[in-house]
Amino acid sequence: MTDHDYDRFEDAPAFECHYCGRPFAREEWLALHRGLDHPAQLDDDEVAAFRAAHEAEEDALGNFRLQALGALVLVYFFLLMIYALV
Amino acid sequence: MTSRRRRATAVTLTAVGWLLAMGTASAHGGSLAAGSRESLTIPTWLFLSTGGAAVGASFLLASFVTDRVFIERIHDWGTPLSGGVRPAVWLGRAVGLVGFAAVIGLGFFGPTTPQTNLAILLVWVGWWAGLAMTTYLLGNTWRVLNPLSTIALVLPSLDRDYPTQLGAWPSVVGLLALVWLEVVSPLADEPRLLATAVLGYSVVTLTGAVVFGRETWFDEADPVERVFRYYGRVAPIGRGADGRLRLRLPGMDLSTPRLVDGRDEVAFVVALLWATTYDGLVTTPAFRDLTTPLVDAGLPAHLLYPVVLAAGFALFLGVYRLAVRSSRRTAETYLSPAELAERFAPPLLAIAAGYHFAHYLGYFLVLAPALGLALLSPLSDPGAVPIYEPPAWFGGVGIAAVIVGHLVAIWVAHAAAYDLFPARMQAIRSQYPFIAVMVFYTMTSLWVVTRPEVPLPHL
Repeated sequence: MTDHDYDRFEDAPAFECHYCGRPFAREEWLALHRGLDHPAQLDDDEVAAFRAAHEAEEDALGNFRLQALGALVLVYFFLLMIYALV
Repeated sequence: MTSRRRRATAVTLTAVGWLLAMGTASAHGGSLAAGSRESLTIPTWLFLSTGGAAVGASFLLASFVTDRVFIERIHDWGTPLSGGVRPAVWLGRAVGLVGFAAVIGLGFFGPTTPQTNLAILLVWVGWWAGLAMTTYLLGNTWRVLNPLSTIALVLPSLDRDYPTQLGAWPSVVGLLALVWLEVVSPLADEPRLLATAVLGYSVVTLTGAVVFGRETWFDEADPVERVFRYYGRVAPIGRGADGRLRLRLPGMDLSTPRLVDGRDEVAFVVALLWATTYDGLVTTPAFRDLTTPLVDAGLPAHLLYPVVLAAGFALFLGVYRLAVRSSRRTAETYLSPAELAERFAPPLLAIAAGYHFAHYLGYFLVLAPALGLALLSPLSDPGAVPIYEPPAWFGGVGIAAVIVGHLVAIWVAHAAAYDLFPARMQAIRSQYPFIAVMVFYTMTSLWVVTRPEVPLPHL
């Protein structure tokens, strides 16, 4: 995964992967990246960081799913109402 | 649901009625609109919002799939195909050459009625409708069939260096020029004109192939070859990284990294999408009303069409670039805009293929008997031409094709985002601007379809 092009300002916060040099805006994303792209090279701390980031991600995804479901239901009933009226 | 079915019926009836009434094989190649204009039973704004909402809802549904392993399994699924391809290649080349000779010969010396002239039917029905459909439904055979590519095999080559900074730009310009020519000239009505255009195109292409080498020219600069190559990437049968034939799920090849390389190739994908909208757009009353003051003020009508073509392309491309910028922000990524643009352009090809299918399946089926008859007796000019009448439910197929194209596009973009970003919420957020762009493209195209069709103004 070293063949990416990057484009960032020098003063922007960045957490760089020390395996491939890819910069990330958040530390959790770096932890996730290390677990996904360099799974064989990680030390114990990095594995723990990956697990923690992964769990936090699952929570965020759970919230997102609920919101997405809500949005779907809204869109569906909104259109249903309009079709009933028009 | 009833209104949708009624609308579907209306689509078919209008399409068939239009073809019968006009009594001609003419249609704008590349348009979603020609022959399928319809009167809606619901207000336009509601039709457009439903289309937009369908795209948005598909995105929300796709975002429920968050299992990386599952997504990768779907995308990597495939089996290698074996088989003796060599004889098939020679046969394909021969078929291509015979077709080419028929188009030139019968274009110049065949019957002058468009519906009975094999050159017209072969180019528009057989090739641009039929072959293009098989390209994204099965696989790209144009690479072998392409008669110009076969002829270039035996021509000498000067092997000049192709200017690398030109990249795919000649093919972008070429595609837009072909669309313009197809819209403003009666290429689908006059066999002599069509044959002349094909001949002119062949001269340009063969010259290019001789100067820069066959491989280089057809890989980089030839617009038609590129259109078929890109459509072929939607297809289930394609070549893997090792160059061998491989069966995959349709559209999954679009998520491969480096499929579209460079801003020139991104521009070509956008141009392909814009082309399907443009030639419907120029026959809308709104276009006529908006441009009438311009023409009255002294803008030559011949300039108007290319200017609108270029301006609309710039708008579509600008909107896409804007989406890329804003995707970098929503995803908070340090990946370069160029990289994002390249990864998220290929899904648009599935949308373009869906529109092409929606428009041309009916056109193809209605005129296929005429093509068959012309193939059997290319020199005769029968008075009555057989025409297939599709059943009443047929219009639904077109709507389904547009929806399937969007579903594939959204899924592929979803998978590409998962491949690109380590955090899954980041991947989902990166898609917000692209979904907005897809909604914009869809609503534009749907709006064009619902406008009544008027003759090309000012020409």
